Amino acid sequence: MTTGIAGTTRAPERRRTAAGRRRVLRRIETRGAWTLLSPYIVLLLIAGVIPIGYALFVSLQKTPTNLEPNLSGFGGIDAFVTAFTDYRFLQTFANVFSVLIIWLPLMIIGIVGMALLVHASPGRFGNAMRFIYYIPGALAGVANLMLWVYLLNPAQSPIGGFWHALGFETIKAVVASPGTLPPILTAMLFFQGIGTWVVIVNGGLNGIPDEIFEAASIDGANAWNLAWRIKIPLIRPWIGYAALMNLAYGFQLFLEPYLLDQVAGGALPDQYTPTQLGFWFAFANSNFPAAAAMSLVVLVITLGIGLIIVFRSGLFGEEEK
Amino acid sequence: MKTKRLISVGAAMATIALAGAALSGCSTGGSGTTGGTQTDSGGKITVWVDPPRVPAADAFKKAHPEIDINIVQIDGTVGGKTVQQQFAQFDAAKKGWPDAIFFPSNDDIAWATSAKSNYAADLTDIMADTISGFDPAVLGMCNIGDKIRCLRNDAAPDVFWYNAKFFADNGYTVPTTWEDYAKLGAKIASEHPGKISGFTGDAYAPDRYLWAADCPTNNTVDATTVQINLADPKCTRAKDLLTTLYDGKALSTDGIFDADAAKVGPDLVMSPGAVWWGDYLFNQTWKIPAGTMQASAPLTWEGESKPSTGDEGGGLWGLSSHIKGKQLKNAETFMKFVVSDPSWQVDLSTGLPAFKAVQDDWIAKQSAANYYADTKATFEAFKPAISAVPGDHKYQLYNTGSVWTETVAPALVAGKSFDDAWSAFDQDLNSQAKAQGYKVVTSK
Repeated sequence: MTTGIAGTTRAPERRRTAAGRRRVLRRIETRGAWTLLSPYIVLLLIAGVIPIGYALFVSLQKTPTNLEPNLSGFGGIDAFVTAFTDYRFLQTFANVFSVLIIWLPLMIIGIVGMALLVHASPGRFGNAMRFIYYIPGALAGVANLMLWVYLLNPAQSPIGGFWHALGFETIKAVVASPGTLPPILTAMLFFQGIGTWVVIVNGGLNGIPDEIFEAASIDGANAWNLAWRIKIPLIRPWIGYAALMNLAYGFQLFLEPYLLDQVAGGALPDQYTPTQLGFWFAFANSNFPAAAAMSLVVLVITLGIGLIIVFRSGLFGEEEK
Repeated sequence: MKTKRLISVGAAMATIALAGAALSGCSTGGSGTTGGTQTDSGGKITVWVDPPRVPAADAFKKAHPEIDINIVQIDGTVGGKTVQQQFAQFDAAKKGWPDAIFFPSNDDIAWATSAKSNYAADLTDIMADTISGFDPAVLGMCNIGDKIRCLRNDAAPDVFWYNAKFFADNGYTVPTTWEDYAKLGAKIASEHPGKISGFTGDAYAPDRYLWAADCPTNNTVDATTVQINLADPKCTRAKDLLTTLYDGKALSTDGIFDADAAKVGPDLVMSPGAVWWGDYLFNQTWKIPAGTMQASAPLTWEGESKPSTGDEGGGLWGLSSHIKGKQLKNAETFMKFVVSDPSWQVDLSTGLPAFKAVQDDWIAKQSAANYYADTKATFEAFKPAISAVPGDHKYQLYNTGSVWTETVAPALVAGKSFDDAWSAFDQDLNSQAKAQGYKVVTSK
């Protein structure tokens, strides 16, 4: 009885309390989210947002160059005009595209194919293969380059016969002949990067519950159907993530062409990629605004393509599922 | 919903970014020319040297224990940008410069004397005594706007190198003109396939042939104007020479520093080359047996009365314009020591000293090894070659050597005609100069 009375009298109150509790919960949740995010946000500010803001600021300035020591003040879009009209500007992007167009599809097909193979070979054999794929990527950058210097030098290379068959007698001929650089960079980037990504995508495959595979098998799916119709659709976010990160890496290509140029006696263009051109603006031309403009151009492109991939792959896709 | 949230996050980030920009804004903008104020440490000096010059700094430390010195070893890559990068940061911070430096590339003197950096001090008056000990021709590249802005560590004029044994065995006559050199090179290559008479793949190749021809690639008109004219008869004579050699299969597309060059090096029968080629390339790197190679005087162009030759390197020492007082005095003492003291220049240095007073002692010491076919004749060719180097050639902000290696070398490696390689070089050299901000003219 009393409870009934209490019930009727307290009903609106209880409803209010429930709403209040939800609000409180939501507030705690929000606060928790921000707390968890805060270390990342600090990093993002220091290593991302503030440098980008600074680059934007610098790109709109005029600063002294070697030949014009008295430049100063607001420069408007001058730095962007300098960068866009540079005689190497379009070429650097064409160069990067010529590498990306071969490398990225190969990379994605390679990652997915190898991850599926590893996943389809459980037990010791699969683990061993996963480890073997990973080895080239585990070599540090410099060691990796030394390996490539050996491979690319017809005089020392284990694949010297291949280079001789193509008519190349020196390392300079190998890397500086017309059209050879994009496939070489592709090979370098491929072996360097694929192992890590096979491990990551394999991790994605391991996250798929076994029941799904069992159900598919009962329905008569063979290994091929399993890979094509079940595994690939389920790891789409991982594939998107791999494509995004590799694309971003490809656009920031700097070290590989820079070092290959040194082993080829300077026969490669010093400003082969957009980042190399930016480096030239900053340190050969003392034109920091133009260097900042170059970096923003690269940022806009990688960010743009990145956003497309994020939304198309459903990488943050809880809501879309 | 999701998109909206992303947009608002983006807007928040943009706001933060702009705030960040505003905060950091005060540090840039209108720094103008640097070097206004000079400082004095009270005596302690910091010097930057590339690895081969570390013994020079060590010798100074030993000879001058009273001077407190900090020796910093730097990246010595010729054509590298790390030193320039650090200086750009020092200029922005307005502190941190070394008090004296050995420039890894001779081209570095261009930015170090630019109006913006203005790092390299004018030595004309403060080191007049030391300067008088140099042949003015050897300091030609340091003479910028009629001021001496650097000192040469060593002189590196080209002499004419040839394989004396090969010439004697096969009865060839050593050429004395550039035109004869080209014809003979092609002749030898046809009679002895595989024998070569020059290298085109390194950054010194344009110095070896174009500078020797007095071809305007690097001529200063004024501080912001350069003369480049590869159609000039002085350039086309070098082009004709290289075309003859290239078509006659007498040239290697390797550069002298390439690892692959060590294989073809022993097949080199003759070539213009710096005085340091003898010990560094033939003896130490390519291990050509003693009693084989020999140098003679530089070649003469047909129709000219005097020999004309290029110059390959021969390092430069610079003094900071940002110091004064005791620190400056000590840095000057250091500069004087490294260019002129026998304990470095004679006992340890491998290059022909640029400073006149120590040249003969160095030659006497080097002759003792008796490496060459005719050691006496070889060393007699060295000193006179210095005054055969055309003086109009100055180092500029664009790097003629790297333009050469990235245009001519790949074109020749791909088997294109020398004409094509030359056009690519011409086009890129002009573009580089303009991209640096120079006004390019074809005649002075």
